[in-house]
Amino acid sequence: MPIPISWYLIVSAFIFTIGVTGVLIRRNPLIIFMSIELMLNAVNLSFIAFSHYLDSVDGQMFVFLVLTVAAAEVVVGLAIIVSIFRTRRDIDVDDMNVLRG
Amino acid sequence: MTNLTIWVLALPLLGFIILGLAGRALTRTGILTVALGTSGLAFLFAALGFLSMLGAPPTSPASGDQVFYTWVNSGIIGTIPGVPAGAASGGAPFTISFGLLFDPLSATMLMIVTGVGFLIHIYSAGYMEDDPGFWRFFAYMNFFLFAMALLVSADNFLFLLVGWALVGLASFLLIGFWYQRRSAVAAAQKALVINIIGDFSLMIAIFLIFKHFQTLNYFSDSNGNPGVFNQLPGNATHATLIIICLLLFLACAAKSAQLPLYMWLPDAMEGPTPVSALIHAATMVTAGVYLIARANQLFEFAPTALLIVAIIGGATALFAATIAVFQLDIKRVLAYSTISQLGYMFMGEGAHDYGAGIFHLTTHAYFKALLFLGAGAVIHALGGEQDMREMGGLRYRLKITFWTFLIAALAISGIPPLSGFWSKDEILSSLLAQATAVGGKTGAIFYLLWGIGLLTAGLTAFYMFRLVLGIFGGSYRGRGPVQHGHDDEEGEEEGLHGAQGRGGIYAIFEAPAIMTVPLIILAVLSAIGGLVGSFSLIGVTRWHPLAKFLDPVFSNPLWATMPVAVHAASLKVQWISTGLSVGLGLLGILGAWAIYRNGFQYKENKNPLYQLVFHKYYVDEILIAVLIDPLLWLGRAASRLLEGNVLDGGSQGVAWVFGRTGGMLRRLQTGYMRNYALAILFGVVLIIVYYAVRG
Repeated sequence: MPIPISWYLIVSAFIFTIGVTGVLIRRNPLIIFMSIELMLNAVNLSFIAFSHYLDSVDGQMFVFLVLTVAAAEVVVGLAIIVSIFRTRRDIDVDDMNVLRG
Repeated sequence: MTNLTIWVLALPLLGFIILGLAGRALTRTGILTVALGTSGLAFLFAALGFLSMLGAPPTSPASGDQVFYTWVNSGIIGTIPGVPAGAASGGAPFTISFGLLFDPLSATMLMIVTGVGFLIHIYSAGYMEDDPGFWRFFAYMNFFLFAMALLVSADNFLFLLVGWALVGLASFLLIGFWYQRRSAVAAAQKALVINIIGDFSLMIAIFLIFKHFQTLNYFSDSNGNPGVFNQLPGNATHATLIIICLLLFLACAAKSAQLPLYMWLPDAMEGPTPVSALIHAATMVTAGVYLIARANQLFEFAPTALLIVAIIGGATALFAATIAVFQLDIKRVLAYSTISQLGYMFMGEGAHDYGAGIFHLTTHAYFKALLFLGAGAVIHALGGEQDMREMGGLRYRLKITFWTFLIAALAISGIPPLSGFWSKDEILSSLLAQATAVGGKTGAIFYLLWGIGLLTAGLTAFYMFRLVLGIFGGSYRGRGPVQHGHDDEEGEEEGLHGAQGRGGIYAIFEAPAIMTVPLIILAVLSAIGGLVGSFSLIGVTRWHPLAKFLDPVFSNPLWATMPVAVHAASLKVQWISTGLSVGLGLLGILGAWAIYRNGFQYKENKNPLYQLVFHKYYVDEILIAVLIDPLLWLGRAASRLLEGNVLDGGSQGVAWVFGRTGGMLRRLQTGYMRNYALAILFGVVLIIVYYAVRG
């Protein structure tokens, strides 16, 4: 018996919610990055599920795109975090509020 | 006939440029060389042109026209119904050219302007000797000569307007020459403002002329396109012509200080005395007289306007003469006298006798310039004193000034055979001739004007001799010249005689020769200058070289059909008028002699009528109360209420609103990343909810 698509979607939404919560409540930028990766991969999961369910490769094409972008984003993001760490010796996001209005 | 006018224009302009740019660096001699050289050469060229015109009179009104360049060439051909077209048959392409018209009228005016101007330049070399603004003064004077020459020699209305405005500017600059004095600056502004009224009126007149004649040239140009005076009445209705003429006359009234725009001229006496002599007596203020003479063809087609010119002229003549009788400042007496004499000129022109107006302009230029220069010599000798109460007895100390001043006073009083006699009596007999020939209501008006002319002649003689006796008669009432650092010689004399510390009458010295020579030349001209005028009194009919010379300008074959003809005065009329005016003039002199024989005494007089005239009919006070004070009040109120609350309040309110809005919005920018992330989340949720709800 094939696993219904709703299961996949429920898992995907669950992982996505963990990611969102992590972005919102954690203070370490590395963890935040991981949470972002969770969100992206949750979306990837639903893409794959739909792709299989709808019997179309479009969703899988998107997953490759998302993975590439995620890799690039992590590269830029880590570079920024390293650079911030070099100047401030500290990477708590709650202390980074110099753009406050 | 050769048209040398361009040189008469170019030389003073060159002098102005040199002095204006490099005057500060030049030595005194250098400044004088430039200023006197250019004005003297300008006079030479004017005289040469004049002589060549005497030798070969112009064959047609425009034969002395010389066009230098065409400024506007529109190519648009406007057809003028009912007007014989020129070479370009069917109409005239509209062009505006810079051209100089050399005809008897402009030749005469150029002679006066440059001649008197040159003499006054010489005089100023002495008068302005100690002034720190020496170079500036001569730069302005040269500029004035240029502007005035342009005014009288332009061959179209547009460049007339240019010259008209530039002489106003020169007048403004020279009235305010001593710009450290608050009163001089105020006088200059007053003169400028009133003159601008006239300039504006002239502009509107020119617009109307353009609309109705489709050209601005006086006469046909070389292409044969008809000028304004060649196509009269054109397609202008009678009413339009009257409006044009009245606008022209309003301009003349502002420039020539006629009622109701005369107020600036007495105040203009704040300028240096040579300026008063040149600009505010001899030349610039006569520009109005010139303009009416120039536009005589227009005015002949609008006799109503001409009658108004005569009435305003007469009213001004009498009005100003009465004020002059009670003035204490010698220059103000002369200023009101100038206004009054200009009124005479307008009366003469109003009686269709333009030649008489120009004749009186000529003789007036001589004797009024002489009077001002004489007054300047007195002021110079007294170190700046202008009040008649501080003078008297100067005939012993200022002999040359006294005799020349006396000649001028006799001339303006119309005593034969001095120049003023011939010109004034020509105007009066023309008025009487008009009165007798026209009859009816118009005739009555001319009788009245003639009476006013006679009365004014008597008043003129009275106030002139009040002035002469006040300055030169009796014994000295002042306390000697005000010290302005001459040399030690004077100081020693002061030590000997100066009981009151100012040196008394023996510290008063005649002006140097550079100032007295122009006085003597002008005195000779005042004495014999009238001989170019009428000898018709003794039956030598039309022995009047000036009238013959000017006649081509003041005649037009079109006038044969005109309802109003120009009436020449008969021998009888001339004798009646002359006899009366000379009699009244002598009476005036005798009256002054009877009252001021022993010198001028000023008595306080509480008579309200006396006070009214003494305070110049309170015109300035009324103007201040009616016009200036309300305007100032309005301005202050506006600056307090309107500016503070409405204008400032408005702009500040806008700034406040944006400031407060920004202050509230900035709180959104916490700088915490998670707030932004939350905001994004909310946004995404909202979008999803929206699509979910919409289905």
